[in-house]
Amino acid sequence: MNTTSLEISNVSKYFGGLLAISEIDLTIRPGELVSIIGPNGSGKSTLFNVVTGIHRSSSGAIRFNGKDITHMKPYQVTRQGIGRTFQQTAIFRRASVLDNVIIGQLLHTRTAVWGAIFNTRSTRRKEAQTREKARQILSFVNLEDKDSQIAGNLTQEAQKRLSIAIALATEPTLLLLDEPTGGVNIREIDGLIELVEKVRKSGISICLIEHKMRMVMNISDRVIALCYGKKIAEGTPKEVASHEQVVKAYLGECNAAPGK
Amino acid sequence: MASNEQDLARPPLFINKTVDTVFSVIEFGQYLINGISQGCLYCLLASGLTLMLGILGVPNFAHGNLYMLGAYIAFYVVAFFNMSYWLSIVIAAIILGVLGLIIYRLIFYPMRNGPHANLFVAAIALLMILESAALLWFGGETKWLILPYSNDVIRFGGMSLGVQRLIIILATLMVMLGLELFIKKTTVGAALEATAQNREGAMLCGIKVTQIAAMAFAIGTALAGVAGVLIAPAVMILPSMGLGPLLVAFSAVIVGGMGSIRGAVVGAFILALVESLTSGYISATYSLVFVFAAMILMLLIRPSGLFGKEL
Amino acid sequence: MKTIEQLRSSPWTAWLALLLIALIVPLVLGGYLITILTIVCIYAIACIGINLLFGYTGLLSVGHSAFLGIGAYAFGLIAIRFGLGFWPSFCASIIISGIAGFLIGIPALRLKGHYFVLVTLAFAVIINIIMMAWIELTGGAAGLAGAPRPDPIPLPWGDVIRFQSPLSMYYFILFFLVIIFVVSYRLINSLVGKTFIAIRDDENLTQSLGINTMSNKLVSFTISAIIAGIAGALFASYNTVISPDSASFMKGVEIVAYLIIGGAGTLAGPLVGPLIMIAIPEMLQMVPEIRQLLFGIILVLFIIFLPKGIAGEVSFLTSRIKSQPRNV
Repeated sequence: MNTTSLEISNVSKYFGGLLAISEIDLTIRPGELVSIIGPNGSGKSTLFNVVTGIHRSSSGAIRFNGKDITHMKPYQVTRQGIGRTFQQTAIFRRASVLDNVIIGQLLHTRTAVWGAIFNTRSTRRKEAQTREKARQILSFVNLEDKDSQIAGNLTQEAQKRLSIAIALATEPTLLLLDEPTGGVNIREIDGLIELVEKVRKSGISICLIEHKMRMVMNISDRVIALCYGKKIAEGTPKEVASHEQVVKAYLGECNAAPGK
Repeated sequence: MASNEQDLARPPLFINKTVDTVFSVIEFGQYLINGISQGCLYCLLASGLTLMLGILGVPNFAHGNLYMLGAYIAFYVVAFFNMSYWLSIVIAAIILGVLGLIIYRLIFYPMRNGPHANLFVAAIALLMILESAALLWFGGETKWLILPYSNDVIRFGGMSLGVQRLIIILATLMVMLGLELFIKKTTVGAALEATAQNREGAMLCGIKVTQIAAMAFAIGTALAGVAGVLIAPAVMILPSMGLGPLLVAFSAVIVGGMGSIRGAVVGAFILALVESLTSGYISATYSLVFVFAAMILMLLIRPSGLFGKEL
Repeated sequence: MKTIEQLRSSPWTAWLALLLIALIVPLVLGGYLITILTIVCIYAIACIGINLLFGYTGLLSVGHSAFLGIGAYAFGLIAIRFGLGFWPSFCASIIISGIAGFLIGIPALRLKGHYFVLVTLAFAVIINIIMMAWIELTGGAAGLAGAPRPDPIPLPWGDVIRFQSPLSMYYFILFFLVIIFVVSYRLINSLVGKTFIAIRDDENLTQSLGINTMSNKLVSFTISAIIAGIAGALFASYNTVISPDSASFMKGVEIVAYLIIGGAGTLAGPLVGPLIMIAIPEMLQMVPEIRQLLFGIILVLFIIFLPKGIAGEVSFLTSRIKSQPRNV
């Protein structure tokens, strides 16, 4: 039973004089799939970066499972159980697909240098377990037949699957997906949507940044719309889609004032 | 001597103290002056380095050897070709400027898209090439450039300043002023400064970064050459003479902030004073250690340096 | 029992064959070759250390001469000043190199990119100056004399191996090279090694996967310092005289250069680099200035056109060839 939840309270982020996100309140409840939409530059990725600790929030607090993660470093946030993918597909291009997922598991494996050098039985066992688990994750995302290929040679869609697999390897209870279908052609999107649903069904909460409305409307429990760093709407997909300000934002206007 | 006579022979205590203070002020002043004249050299080297670092992202390890070449050029122009020393400044600037363009085009330009670590390695290779070429061409024996006024010293208030050192200070002032005017008053200069501060931003403004990079390199090498000419009459001329100044110049660039000429100047003088004062009051051999300690401190507290972009 | 075919295609065969050659050739040819190969082995050990740090973790240190020096002087001082034997001094110098690596690594690794490289340079120069200037401790420019050779090893049939001859020292150092090679091989192929490679290829992604990259980088740095310290101590024992030039800043640069030419990030690189760049000039009896000039030119050419180094380019080409479709 997934009991984790993410509470973002009044979080803002300034880059010098530029306000990237402003006074954002957002809660993701256990098992939910929440989508964040908004025009380019509205602060969606910045929000993810602040939650995962890549950028320090200028004000506000972030709690995960009741624990304050506002000032945690990225690797600490991941260890709390928040996994993520990046808008620009982040995978280890020079490594094999299997190795990519193995690396994703490394935060949970405690192998020491000593064990590595002397190739102790426990080290070998851990390596075998890691490899086995990596294969399981790859078959979950339907990439098991490509395990020995070099990751950089995969198609864009397969790379997106791989990046999800890597994030899953960290054993998250909340997964932040930043445009998982970015750059993927229309015919292949359904496969990715299925995968996201599959992840959600396995009990992991998901927060999704997406531009493709079909995906957002079909699978989200709730939708949040951002514009110029401010939240302008929140509700069910239907509610948000017909919200006046959201429509305006996508047409180029926005009532939330930019800048300070 | 009886103790009474001893007391009479010794001057009163307060005069002792005054004399001590005066001497220590003079001593301090001497170190200050030494530091300023060394600082000028480091200033020239560091300005060139910071342009190269800011624009190319390459710490040019070979910079010290370009400085060394400037000194050799001065030597040969005067001793061999019997021409005026002042002419050698111009000749060195031109030769080293052209050399800089060649080096940039042949070595650093082809590598511009590769990993940064490789640029380091290329700079190291260049250092090896220049030093061994100098050894082969000029020979390893120390050369001395003696000018008519080389042994003249200006004395004032107990402190002394070699004439050549004074020339270094004045010449550096003129060169840096010229550089400042070039950067502030010409469009090309502005483009240079912009690229050094923010390469992508400069590209977005339509600045031809490749040409600017080539120019920055050439200016940097020319400055190193001029520094070499200026120091030549005052020191031993050897193929290995560049290493020490190079290390201080690097530290100056870090302390001042990569890409900022103002930072390079400030850093150069701060470190020259550190070097001079620690050399005088603590130990000459360990003075470089203190310079580096200052650099390491700056890197740990504020890696972007005094005037650099916030990292 | 493996078939001939399996033996031929296994990578172990190549390495064992190489080891065999390394053992037998000097015995047969002897003389000056032994001296050259001994130096090659010492550099190879240091290159393996740098390979771990730069080739596999992506951190360029031009200042590892500091650890060569610390290893050598720690060994020499403990053996000469405190009068301890070879093995206690050797082990102590390894521990001291490790501690030094750890202490220098903590501040240095907080920096990224060029700043890190420059700090390693700074430490190397500082340590070199201390070696030259602290005469009471290190003997200054003259250095220390009288570093011990390994203790004689009694053989079952009553004879004794004394490490006085060049050949015996060569085998001794080769032995360490083999051990360190195997250690690095195991490390690289383990999960720890995979972590290093991940950090090299994309540190931000690695951090976002929950890995504390700082502590991993520190481990890599410390291990590479220990390996460099071993190389320094072995050289001290071989040379019996320890002087500051064996740990000058240029030595640290040379190690990096040999590795790059040999192939950073490959297993063979740290062996190929020193072998080619030391053995060939020695055999051609090149004048040092000419050798350095050619060295610089070769390094520049490699870094521009063949950045993967010899072993790297070869393995790149063979993997290309293997994935070519067969023309039947």
